[in-house]
Amino acid sequence: MSAKGFPLDLERPDPPLVIAVGSGGVGKTTVAASMGLVSARAGVETLVMTFDPSLRLKDALGVDQASQEEEVQVPLVPAVPEGARGRLFASLLDARRTFDRLVARYAPDDASRDRILTNEYYGHLAGHLGGILEYMAVERLYEVSTQGRYDRIILDTPPTAQAIEFLEAPSRVVSFLESGALKIALRPWFDGKGKLKVASGMGFLGRGIEAFLDRVVGLDLLRDMSEFFLAFEPLFDGFKDRAVEVERLLGSDKALFVLVTGPGEGRVGDSLFFARRLREAGYRLGPVVVNRMHPTYEGPELGPEFADGDSLFRWLGSRHQGGLAELRRRLPGDRVVALPLEADEPTDLSALESLGMRLVERLKAAEAEA
Amino acid sequence: MGLEAQLDTLKKRRLIVVTGKGGVGKSLLSVTLGQKLARAGRRTLVLEVDPRENLHPLLGTPPSGGAVVAAGERLYLQNLKPREVADWVVRKQVKIEMLVKRVLDSPVYHRFVDGAPGLREMAILGHALRLLRGETSKAPRLDTVVLDAPATGHGVYLLTAARLYADTIGHGPFAGFAREIADFASDPEQTSVVVVTLAEEMPVQEAIELRGSLIEKHGREPELLVVNGLYPPVTPEDGPLTPLAPTAAVDAESMLALWRRRRAVNERELERLAAELPAPSLKFPLQPMEPGPTLVDALVDLVDAAGGER
Repeated sequence: MSAKGFPLDLERPDPPLVIAVGSGGVGKTTVAASMGLVSARAGVETLVMTFDPSLRLKDALGVDQASQEEEVQVPLVPAVPEGARGRLFASLLDARRTFDRLVARYAPDDASRDRILTNEYYGHLAGHLGGILEYMAVERLYEVSTQGRYDRIILDTPPTAQAIEFLEAPSRVVSFLESGALKIALRPWFDGKGKLKVASGMGFLGRGIEAFLDRVVGLDLLRDMSEFFLAFEPLFDGFKDRAVEVERLLGSDKALFVLVTGPGEGRVGDSLFFARRLREAGYRLGPVVVNRMHPTYEGPELGPEFADGDSLFRWLGSRHQGGLAELRRRLPGDRVVALPLEADEPTDLSALESLGMRLVERLKAAEAEA
Repeated sequence: MGLEAQLDTLKKRRLIVVTGKGGVGKSLLSVTLGQKLARAGRRTLVLEVDPRENLHPLLGTPPSGGAVVAAGERLYLQNLKPREVADWVVRKQVKIEMLVKRVLDSPVYHRFVDGAPGLREMAILGHALRLLRGETSKAPRLDTVVLDAPATGHGVYLLTAARLYADTIGHGPFAGFAREIADFASDPEQTSVVVVTLAEEMPVQEAIELRGSLIEKHGREPELLVVNGLYPPVTPEDGPLTPLAPTAAVDAESMLALWRRRRAVNERELERLAAELPAPSLKFPLQPMEPGPTLVDALVDLVDAAGGER
């Protein structure tokens, strides 16, 4: 079976969901913002959801100021005529606020909502549970996509070490939250009045785990956890249903993944790994964007005072070009395009839109050759 | 403290925590520091916690696979999978071997470890402490552990987690151990924090925020700052900036322009660092060399030179 990638034409409203994945530090958020700008410019009502934009990008997109509203409109320059379709919106995901809002929305009553929101274990969990940021992104995506306000959502992903963690996180968090096994382990500790009672009914295995949990966790934390899970129980099914729905959406033909990667021969292995994992998980892979590539330099020697830069640039250019060629060789069915290292990082809207246009040109060129 | 003095005091530390955003070169720096310390006479282990093995290609050794692997004279490395670090906690607390296996295999345990924020972070430091005390079987005597910290954006949380557990639990043998870990991590005579960055806007921003977090939560500054990937210094342009046509191959003029502007970005960011992250710093140029043992040796030479040792 030869792997085949999917085309992406940002100037058309399909697909409605574009997800930028890749390791930390490769410029994913910049590429996501650029894609948003060209998409909106072409008349597609677009939302870009970001995770950790730089301060300048936050400024440029205006997401810094977003306090009441989740999404802020990003003014295109030059502006889109009043009333015309093709506005760009941007949001910055705040995992804690999203989690709090979900609890407030889905808790069965005010009392349980408050019990959860003030629970100490909840506070700790919401900030530090592995995968919580990714999971909240999924929940936020669900919220936004069901509102139906946008023709297209471009989702940036958290800067985790591995792009694939983003996709696995929701099921990990959901299975933790709804874990029947964990609830059983916790509940027998405390009777209806919140007093500790000796656990029974789990036999030899139960006692070992109880002893472990007791010595590791301590009773106060166990009590907090137990109360949290009891209060949270009515929300479990809803969380699970939504996570299932978003996973379905991500695997559908409405969603396309753009893999953003760094340049150079050293990165080829990682890129191949991500591409394979995405496909194995049943997701549709669109363009692979090798970002911030050094140009090759094969011109005359520059002179002794420039010797350092001369040899460095020749080496970097050759290594980056070599990496691109290797990646194209190993992904023959995919659209592998490169974006150049800019002398100045694109942090204002016009530079970002130029970058987006360059991406559009290169995707068209790749289509023509396909 | 000046750079030379700081590099000297690093030789006395038991744990060196190397932190920074993803992609800034932490693994390379961890291995470089490890090699430097080993050559200075310290039995050193470089530790990473990552599903993928990033350290061993830098030293030209086979992968660790979870074991402590010899990588040179007085130098070792170890890779731990995140899922496995907390398992030793079970082994410490649950003495009966048969029961240990049952607990480790149980989904309850896995759910709990996944759901107990900070337990993994604490277990990583606990593992480093056990290595240093010689409490792990099959490991050599060690003077120093260099921890290539996970790049998950919670660099300071690595240091904070143990204290949270100690405070929350309060009593009992495990709380006692959590407290030992917390005390060890926060003792500047035992543990040093190294922040790695590139001279680019986002990594510098994160480095500055990390320093802020360290001060706020631990009342301490990072001991060392490492700036990677610097373009070579170059005479600035005296004329107007030529617009660049970003094509795959460029002419001399475009190349020089790119170089000048990237160097200008580096210099701007170095100034920002000097103003807002006042730690002694090592600065490494971009090298036309594949990451590997040769590059590590070149970097160790640079560290020696910076420390006044050659």
